[in-house]
Amino acid sequence: MEFSIYRFNPETDTLPKMQRFTLTDDQIEPGMMLLDALLLLKEQDDSLGFRRSCQHGVCGSDGMNINGVNGLACITPLADLEAPVTLRPFPGMPVIRDLIVDMDNFWDQYRRAEPWLVNDSPEPEVERKQSPQDRDQLDGLYECILCGCCSAACPSYWWNPDKFLGPAALLQAARFIQDSRDEATDHRLAELDDAWKLYRCHTIMNCTQVCPKGLNPSRAISDIRRTMLKKSL
Amino acid sequence: MKLLSGQRAWLLQRITAVYVGVYVVLALGFFVLAAPPDHAAWQAVMGHPVVGLVTAVFVLLLWLHAWIGLRDVVMDYVHAPGARLVVFVLGGGGLLLTGLWAFFILIRAGLA
Repeated sequence: MEFSIYRFNPETDTLPKMQRFTLTDDQIEPGMMLLDALLLLKEQDDSLGFRRSCQHGVCGSDGMNINGVNGLACITPLADLEAPVTLRPFPGMPVIRDLIVDMDNFWDQYRRAEPWLVNDSPEPEVERKQSPQDRDQLDGLYECILCGCCSAACPSYWWNPDKFLGPAALLQAARFIQDSRDEATDHRLAELDDAWKLYRCHTIMNCTQVCPKGLNPSRAISDIRRTMLKKSL
Repeated sequence: MKLLSGQRAWLLQRITAVYVGVYVVLALGFFVLAAPPDHAAWQAVMGHPVVGLVTAVFVLLLWLHAWIGLRDVVMDYVHAPGARLVVFVLGGGGLLLTGLWAFFILIRAGLA
C-alpha cells in the first residue's frame, strides 16, 4: 500500500515536500488502523514525526489530514482508505515538523471559552446535583476530546484563528452554558456577543462532518445563538 | 461597531432577509402576472403611496442586509487594515450611493 506523507523539518528544509512510503501486503493485517501503519512506516524512517498516545481515540493526539479529511489516525481503518494514502498536517495550523502542528492558539481559544464550572453558591455536603433531564442536556457536548479536527477544518478559524474561538472551543462554551449547575451563563453569553468569537461561524458544518467522535459543534453553536436570543427577548 | 455587531447583526441580517425575500417573490409574481405595459403605467404603480413605502422599506432593509454581508466578507477575508478600510469605504460608499439613488427614483415616482 502506497503512502504520500507531508515532510517538513524547519531546521533543514526550506520547503515542505511529499514523501512516498510503501507497506507490503504481508505487513498489512486485517483490522489495522492508520496509526498502526504509521508506526510501521516510522520503522522505515525514524525521522517521520507525528503525535500519538492512547491509540484508542480518546487522547486526541493523532489528528491529521487523511486523504483530504481531518481525522484521528488511531481509529481510521486502513481498509477504508484509498491508496495512495495522502497524509498532511492539520490545515490552517503552523507546522512544527511533518504531521505535528503547533496547537497553542487552539488551546488559547479553548481557555477563552472558560471551560470550567462557575458556581459561587455554598458547596453542598456531597455534590451539586442535577436532574436526569438537566444532565441529558450535556450529552453530545462533554464527550469532546479536543483533538482539533473540527477547528482545523473550519475556514472561519483558518482566516481568523486569533479572534474566532473555533468550533471546539465553542462546543465547550455550549457545554457550560447548558450546564444547570453553572451560574455564569449571562457572563458567558455576553462574552460571546461580539462580531468575532461566535458570529464568524457561517454554519458550513465542516466541523460536524469531520468530528471523529460524531459530535455536532455546528448545532452547539446554533444552540448558543438560540439561548442568546431567548435571553435578550 | 457595537450597533451592528454580534447577535444584533446576525438577527438583523435574518429579519431583513425575510422581508427582502418576501418582497422579491411578490415583485416577481407581479412582473409575471400583471407587468405594467409602459413607462406611464410603471410610474403609476411605483408612485402609489403603499407601493412606494413598501419599496422604500425594501431598499433600506436590502441596504442593511448587504452592508452586514459585505462587512462579514471583509472581516473574513481582508486582514490588512489599509485594504479593509479601502473596501469598507468603496463598498459602503457604493451601497450608500445606490441606496440614495433608489430613494431618489422612488421620490420622483411619487411626485410624478
